Amino acid sequence: MAHHEHEHERGHIGPATYYKVFAALMVLMFLTVGAWWVEGMLNIPRALGVFIAVAIASTKTVLIVLFFMHIKVSSRVTQLYAVAALVALLFMFVITMGDYFARGWPPELGPLP
Amino acid sequence: MATTALPGRNYLEEDATTIGAWLKAWFLTVDHKRIAILYLLSINFFFLLGGLAASVIRVELITPQGDLLSADLYNRAFTLHGIIMVFFFLIPGIPAVLGNFLVPLMIGARDMAFPRLNLFSWYLYMAGGIFALTAAIFGGVDTGWTFYTPFSSTYANSNVILTITGAFIMGFSSITTGVNFIVTIHTMRAPGMTWFRLPLFIWASYATSLIIVLATPVIGITLLLVAIERLWGVGIFDPALGGDPLLFQHLFWFYSHPAVYIMILPGFGVISELIAAFSRKRIFGYEFIAFSSMAIALLGFLVWGHHMFVSGQSVYAGLVFSFLTMLVAIPSAIKVFNWTATLYKGSISYRTPMLYALGFIGLFVIGGLTGIFLGIVAINIHVTDTYFVVAHFHYVMVGGAIMAYLGGIHYWWPKMTGRMYNEVWGGISALIIFVGFNMTFFPQFIVGYLGMPRRYHVYPQEFQVLHVLSSAGATILAIGFIIPIIYLTISLWKGAIAGDNPWDATGLEWEVSSPPPTHNFTTTPVVTREAYDYPPDAAEVDAANWRPGSPL
Ligand code: HEM
Ligand SMILES: [Cu+2]
Repeated sequence: MAHHEHEHERGHIGPATYYKVFAALMVLMFLTVGAWWVEGMLNIPRALGVFIAVAIASTKTVLIVLFFMHIKVSSRVTQLYAVAALVALLFMFVITMGDYFARGWPPELGPLP
Repeated sequence: MATTALPGRNYLEEDATTIGAWLKAWFLTVDHKRIAILYLLSINFFFLLGGLAASVIRVELITPQGDLLSADLYNRAFTLHGIIMVFFFLIPGIPAVLGNFLVPLMIGARDMAFPRLNLFSWYLYMAGGIFALTAAIFGGVDTGWTFYTPFSSTYANSNVILTITGAFIMGFSSITTGVNFIVTIHTMRAPGMTWFRLPLFIWASYATSLIIVLATPVIGITLLLVAIERLWGVGIFDPALGGDPLLFQHLFWFYSHPAVYIMILPGFGVISELIAAFSRKRIFGYEFIAFSSMAIALLGFLVWGHHMFVSGQSVYAGLVFSFLTMLVAIPSAIKVFNWTATLYKGSISYRTPMLYALGFIGLFVIGGLTGIFLGIVAINIHVTDTYFVVAHFHYVMVGGAIMAYLGGIHYWWPKMTGRMYNEVWGGISALIIFVGFNMTFFPQFIVGYLGMPRRYHVYPQEFQVLHVLSSAGATILAIGFIIPIIYLTISLWKGAIAGDNPWDATGLEWEVSSPPPTHNFTTTPVVTREAYDYPPDAAEVDAANWRPGSPL
């Protein structure tokens, strides 16, 4: 049947790539700290600051998942599972934020923090 | 397949001559069947402990005054009960015992994909258990199994950290088991064992593993955050520190609602096997049952807010959660209808496992339907935090998950041990459990609806009748749980030799000898038939052959 075979399809990631990814992660780390500095100095709106921080963090996550966790060279099923985990996370964030967003509605219930 | 002569030695037989070798052969085994036995013993031990805590609670509630326990001690008693039952019995129960034993056998594999990881998961389970027990010995916890903040993170002065460490470690045990099942089912199926020939227990285990792998990390992180807030005062959940307590509830229930399906889905799988085997029919609507497991796994992630209707979450969020909650009931109902349709015109034999299966269907319907009541915001506000909720979840967890566990243990006992248990005592105790269970928990619907809050040890005089009824029922229930322990143990020595297939059932696990050989299959089985491939006329033939005095 269709098992045992696809064990050989698994790709390989060499140390050179690991070092490159590691360097990229370090750059992103400094970018995170830098962004926090710049935000404080230039009075950037908080929402934009959060957006930038989350964008940098997501990039780091993607790099780690793709290279360190080998998802880039894994079988289709493994990739599907990685995506499923992200979908579950999306459910968690979207629905929880939906509650926060609608917390004070309707206004006669009073504004909640 | 070898069906008569024993091919090699069975997994229980021992070459070990010294105690050290024997210990090694069991505690360092990588045989999935031996690991299942380790789990069976340890999980049942935790079940008895949790039951002991429950007995203390029920004794206290016989009178309206708090005469046995102080309020504080009572809090610790129900917390111990909840934590042990949820984290150390119901969540690992069916997957780790029956799943470990059966998944490789049912799909025609020699073991799990990662046998050492499997052993490791048992050690993680025991380590988590030891943390929780240590917490109990040093005075226990009083937060409830739900660990609500800011009480747990700031105000409680009981052993919160030890306990959540235990739950945290136990979570990893779940995850390793889940990963193992997923990889095993994907990669180790025997030739010809296509996805739609898998027994439904495998589908259920697969869906359960999916939930475990996707949801459990969230509870791990959440408990870690509680510990961080408690230890270092970092404001996450405590409003006094700038945190948000509702964030905890969101994260906790994001895991714990799916977790109720971790408890019940494997039970659904067991019931599908039992109903087919004792109706001697191909299960009705195989694909629907298989896919409804997957639908439950998916939808279960979208409804957690129904535990938070009165928490102060947005009323609009409540509205959406209420609507989504109604949707989860659909796949559960699909299963019940399909089981009922399988029974129709089947050749039903009322053997002990079947009694549990029939009990399961009735009790789960009550539990599920009262879940729908609770999912309606208006009713929920009335009965929130009352015994109505307590009755609901005991109908699904005890009436559902435990009935399935016991049914499964009885059904596969001859396979696990090679011996039959005493059928008469089996039937009697199944009946005692059914009666005791209903007597314990049905009055709780009423007393809850009338306003008895959960988690209190004193109550108004007028509730006493119902509480006494409940405690009396609990006594009967306890007797019902103890009898099987006795006759199952006796059967290990006195039981009749079971033979390979005592129920005349289908499935690869019944084609190997009982107990199965260490490596399960001497030659790799090749599957050419559908699951539950009972001859179409099996029911008629059975009916024609029945004589007074044959087993029912
Ligand atoms: C058929 C679908 C189900 C529905 C619609 C449902 C609905 C609900 C709702 C709305 C609540 C919240 C009640 C409240 O706290 O006010 C609840 C509580 C609960 N349910 Fe269910 N339920 C279902 C199935 C299950 C199953 C299968 C289990 C476990 C095997 C379960 C276990 C629990 C537990 C443990 C609680 C109480 C949690 C706590 O506050 O300690 N439910 N259910
Ligand atoms: Cu729920």
